[in-house]
Amino acid sequence: MATFLIRRLFQMLIVTIVAAIISYGLLYLVPGGPLDALLTERQNSGANRIDDEDIKRVQARFELDLALPVRFSRWLIGWPNGPLFGSLGADWAVGCATPQQVKLTYPDGRVEFITEGCADTVTLAELEGRKVSRGVFFGDFGVSQVILRDRPVTDLIMTRLPYTLYLMGASVALAILIGVPIGVYSAVKQYSRFDYIMTTVAFIGSSLPSFVFAIFAILIFSILAKQAGLPYLPSGDAVGTRDIVIPLIGLVEVGSFLDRFLRFLMPCTVLTFISLAGWSRFVRGSMLEVLQQDYVRTARAKGVREQMVVIKHALRNSLIPFVTLLAGVLVTIFAGATITETVFNWPGIGRLFVDALNRNDYNVVMALVFVNVVLLLVGILITDILYTLVDPRIRLS
Amino acid sequence: MATSTTAVPVADIAGGRSESQWQIVVRRFRKHKIAVFCLWLLGAMLILSALAPVLAPFPRDEPNLKTRFVPPFTTDEQGNFRVLGTDHLGRDFFTRLLYASRVSLGTALIATIISSVIGVVLGMLAGYFGGWVDTLISRILEVVATFPIFLLLLILSSILVQNINSVPLPEFFVRFLAWIFTVSEREARGIFAVILILALFGWTSTARLMRGMVLSVRENVYIESARALGASNTRILSKHIFPNSLPPMIVDFTLGVNGTLVAESGLSFLGYGIQDPTPTWGNMLAFAQSYMFQHPWMPLIPSLPILIASIAINYIGDGLRDALDPRQRI
Repeated sequence: MATFLIRRLFQMLIVTIVAAIISYGLLYLVPGGPLDALLTERQNSGANRIDDEDIKRVQARFELDLALPVRFSRWLIGWPNGPLFGSLGADWAVGCATPQQVKLTYPDGRVEFITEGCADTVTLAELEGRKVSRGVFFGDFGVSQVILRDRPVTDLIMTRLPYTLYLMGASVALAILIGVPIGVYSAVKQYSRFDYIMTTVAFIGSSLPSFVFAIFAILIFSILAKQAGLPYLPSGDAVGTRDIVIPLIGLVEVGSFLDRFLRFLMPCTVLTFISLAGWSRFVRGSMLEVLQQDYVRTARAKGVREQMVVIKHALRNSLIPFVTLLAGVLVTIFAGATITETVFNWPGIGRLFVDALNRNDYNVVMALVFVNVVLLLVGILITDILYTLVDPRIRLS
Repeated sequence: MATSTTAVPVADIAGGRSESQWQIVVRRFRKHKIAVFCLWLLGAMLILSALAPVLAPFPRDEPNLKTRFVPPFTTDEQGNFRVLGTDHLGRDFFTRLLYASRVSLGTALIATIISSVIGVVLGMLAGYFGGWVDTLISRILEVVATFPIFLLLLILSSILVQNINSVPLPEFFVRFLAWIFTVSEREARGIFAVILILALFGWTSTARLMRGMVLSVRENVYIESARALGASNTRILSKHIFPNSLPPMIVDFTLGVNGTLVAESGLSFLGYGIQDPTPTWGNMLAFAQSYMFQHPWMPLIPSLPILIASIAINYIGDGLRDALDPRQRI
């Protein structure tokens, strides 16, 4: 067990670093980046309110003037933050504050400026005294570069996390609470009309893209219901911006429980319906397999009541593979549903990711990817350990 | 039935009707009525989209500010009858939908073909040869399984889509795509990028499935006898292992097309997939969504095809699964 844990933790460390390198490299190796918004602003500001010095200062604050490996290592573990071991390599160039502009004059008189080399290098010694995050491995995700400029990424995530947690938590819980009984009943009454209808619904539910379903929901319950003068549901956001009056329900005040609840209803239903199909199908398959086992036949032969056979003998054993789904659930609850949150304008983690990607806030993107990878790995580890607990035949090796 | 290696066809001995493997599959598939109907439906969609340049009543992306938001089945100010209305720039929805079907279905098909070929080949190598090949491929599969795929998919496409013109892509394939989708080469590059991304993330499940299939197929006695007769690895792989592990791959391919179709529309819907002048169901739906409060009919037009195609492909996959599984009685 101990060797298993050590080996697994080591593997997890490597996978995390590989995933971090890949996403960090992908983001920063391409042109454009967190400074884009600032540069556009400078072009539009006319009166030169943002000058080169400002750009340089912001660049240094976000470490964009450092070479990629150095920047990555400072982001990951907050090192190097000055000359190595106190004195080594104080004058090593680790980045470039201003690139060298070279003027090329062609024989035909054309003039072109190209950037080549570096006019002003950043040395290791200059890194001393710069603000640096303690490193992602030590729980410091750095500062947001665009969305909430210069505020810790953790703050940004923390403002969004509660929304995702209660939306995803509620929908996963509902999906399990509704999906498991449906799956059990379908399996017990295999090929009955109920089973047939449920498998068809599950089949359609699993093939339906979430955004189509979400848009249909908005269309029916917000737009058409409102036009018909029926009680309708607000179509987006987690909290309203002004009081609304809904027929039959009455005045809905901004920020009241009713307001939040009405806005929560639609995204939650959509997410529940989409995952419901998966859960019930999973339980049905697993139950069907268990119901054919010898011990179920033995229990029936002993004269155990059918209800007891289903609940005590079959259901309990059919829930063993359930544990495998835990790894996924952990990530789902944290990461939210990117597309559904976007459609409903829900201020959760999923939409934060899309926003951050759109606005090149790479520190936020990286933080979310990192947390996701770690959660997924932890989920898989927990699953493996739980599996040995619920099924003693399996040993960790 | 073990005499099937002799030169005389079994049917001749039995004196009955001769039926090839594929005829049996077709006969069994036709018993699944919904699947057959869905096959016709999808076929009709494919034919319509293939005939897009002939059928389209208007130019694909010519904006016309005088005919914006014309509802379906009405005649606009200029006296043109609009079967499915016009969008926020006054472009004809029916025309764009025809081309969008071409792009969406074509992208899904090509991306799935590429990822299936990669997956089948790698899975076959891993399963058949074992050893370090298997270790390497299995490790890659394991690592990929622990990545947050959807997030990486979004990152990669946001980068590729922004910098598509600086990415070196094989020109002949770009021209091929431009020809298939009747788009300019610039648009074809955008489609190519999305195909690449989808194929890159799609092959792992196929490889895993294929590896498992090959592991079980290669234990059969006929593989042993083929080897005893002196057949080469290439021959065993192509004549014995591949055909015998094909059935689940066909089902996997069908469901893969649906997965890719949904992923592509999702990406395009979020704005990271195929970009606007090129119509796809996903990006048409994204625009329709912003105007759905004033024009509730708008989102229906691009979303119904997604719905129909997606459900149809799933039912075809279901029918194929039943038809290809000899243990299943239908």
